[in-house]
Amino acid sequence: MKKIKMLFIISLAFAVVMMSACAESSGGSSKEKVVNIGYSGPLSGAAALYGENTLNGLKMAVNEINKEGFEVAGEKYKLNLVSLDDKYMPNETASNGKRLVQESKTPIIFSPHSGGIAALQVFNEIDNFLIVAYSSEPDITERGNKLTVRIPPSYEGYVEPFSTYAMERFGKKLAALPPVTQYGKDWAEAIVPYWEEHGGEVVHQASIDFAKDTDFFTILTNTLKEDPDVLFIGGASEPTAKVVMQARELGFEGGFIIMDQAKLDEMKNVTETYEPLEGSVGVTPLIYTEYPGTPEFIDKYRDLYKKDPGSEAGYHYLATYLLVEAMKAAENVDDAKVIREHIQDGLDNLPDDKKVYEIPSIDEEGGLVNLIRMATVEDGEIVLKEVD
Amino acid sequence: MELLLQQLFNGLTIGSVYSLVALGLTLVYGILHIPNFAHGALYMVGGYITLIMMTNAGLHYILAILVSIIVVGVLSVLMERLVFHPLRHSPPIQDKVAAIGILLFLEALAQLLWGADYRQMPTPFGQVVNVFGLTLTLQRIIIVAAAIAVMIFLYWFLKKTFIGSTIIAMAQNREGAALVGINTNKVAILTFFIAGALAAIGASLTSPINLVFPGMGHLVILKAFVIIIIGGMGSIPGAILGGYILGFTESIGATYISSDYKDLIAFVLLIIILSAKPQGIFSKGGA
Repeated sequence: MKKIKMLFIISLAFAVVMMSACAESSGGSSKEKVVNIGYSGPLSGAAALYGENTLNGLKMAVNEINKEGFEVAGEKYKLNLVSLDDKYMPNETASNGKRLVQESKTPIIFSPHSGGIAALQVFNEIDNFLIVAYSSEPDITERGNKLTVRIPPSYEGYVEPFSTYAMERFGKKLAALPPVTQYGKDWAEAIVPYWEEHGGEVVHQASIDFAKDTDFFTILTNTLKEDPDVLFIGGASEPTAKVVMQARELGFEGGFIIMDQAKLDEMKNVTETYEPLEGSVGVTPLIYTEYPGTPEFIDKYRDLYKKDPGSEAGYHYLATYLLVEAMKAAENVDDAKVIREHIQDGLDNLPDDKKVYEIPSIDEEGGLVNLIRMATVEDGEIVLKEVD
Repeated sequence: MELLLQQLFNGLTIGSVYSLVALGLTLVYGILHIPNFAHGALYMVGGYITLIMMTNAGLHYILAILVSIIVVGVLSVLMERLVFHPLRHSPPIQDKVAAIGILLFLEALAQLLWGADYRQMPTPFGQVVNVFGLTLTLQRIIIVAAAIAVMIFLYWFLKKTFIGSTIIAMAQNREGAALVGINTNKVAILTFFIAGALAAIGASLTSPINLVFPGMGHLVILKAFVIIIIGGMGSIPGAILGGYILGFTESIGATYISSDYKDLIAFVLLIIILSAKPQGIFSKGGA
């Protein structure tokens, strides 16, 4: 008897959950129309922080936009963000992508890692959804996928200014210690030949596995015995900062070229001052950036999340507004091809106060054209440098 | 020569941490007869508790470690009481599934409670010490010294005290231990407590040289599995020796062979050892 009662209660509970779930999904469409925006990124596991930062920017923009809604071809719409966790694994991104398209009919899917983006590119043109790619890997736009928009600048633009600065300030001997990710290897493959062509010497090459190494003393001891002037490092900001600290402990006095994934301001949270980072060159942290929409965005973000925003959040915030403008210009909310064709109009119509970054145009391959800037640490302070 | 010495010291540091974690894993193996996949999560919780005690409660590093030992020890005991004890008559696969479940639960819980951020654990022992051209930091010296002290104490406890020998007795033969009047429940609780405490010590010692984050357990747990296989499942000296073998292989292998192949070297070593001694260097129960 007890068992039957139990079963009854369980099935009742199940029915209630199902009903409320149905109510939720149909409730929205009765008044306003909804555009589902998909997201697949790492929300758990080692890269969870990164995923969370990207999603924060996205959520912030969606909530702001939904206060008023937006009008496309005379009808009022709201955005509905459907976010799925892929644990940073491309195969999971692919199945999330399928799920988003089939269950939520998302015309747009955000993905913040190159492996996942590549996996989505296998079928996005057939399933007709636009990939909004947050990765500086140039490959993702060079493959000729017609429905991909790359948000941040390609890292290729950083190789020359970073190298020139480090070479002039510290010397010609480089040791490359990229993370073991594909992205890290590609970056290294871009910077190593550049040094060799410009009279530099690459004295040591090894890769750091942040998913397996507890301690970096071993790898750094081997690197520093070659007496390099500059270390090329990268990865998530905080572990990269640990590499810097340990290199200093081992007596390294040269400079660091920091891959664009790590941000100097976040690294400083670990090193406490900019002193250990002296002589670093990297991308400009968002909080030192000054475009028309940046200060307002930083204030709102700090209010909401009680921490400083990074470029991941800033770019995702901007990209969401950009897509809404593109949909308005396209007078279409579900055909990815048409939305893609109107991204340039979206950029032109983007309100000034949403311009967390200044992006004048989108190139033919789908990369947003960003102005490249870099930040260096000189005498314990961040110094911004213009790059031609 | 200096390079060799420096790398030996680096291997010693990392080997000490590996050994501590592997010891906890191997002790619990004696009770569960499966590797406890949730051990990495205990390690992670240990890191967080020490960190929180230091930053939020303002405790000294060493006091914070003590609190962490108790909290994680109790958590480990709860795990045994609430999950593994009720499953003691089930086939081992159910223990395995339960252990993975606990791992996922604790990781998700840590992310919920403390966020996904990488956190930095301050240490009062951050000074850099240069001895004979070697670069040591005080923290690293403490890691090595504390780990060795803990291991000696544990060995003495298991070998020379009555309670300690009940743990070994139960690892060797559960029914036999019960027949001679050992309270297997109490021993299981004690073993889990010690395993949790070892994880907390390992995490608290290493965190200042790395970072505290929800996924930090993965850094050591896979290696701890390799170690207890090398050393022999359930063997105490095996876990200690295995930890140092792996630590030294990584640092020396990375220096004289190739740093990109250092994990490969460790696994080749695993294959060689298992080919020669399929039960591991010390066979089970040989503590």
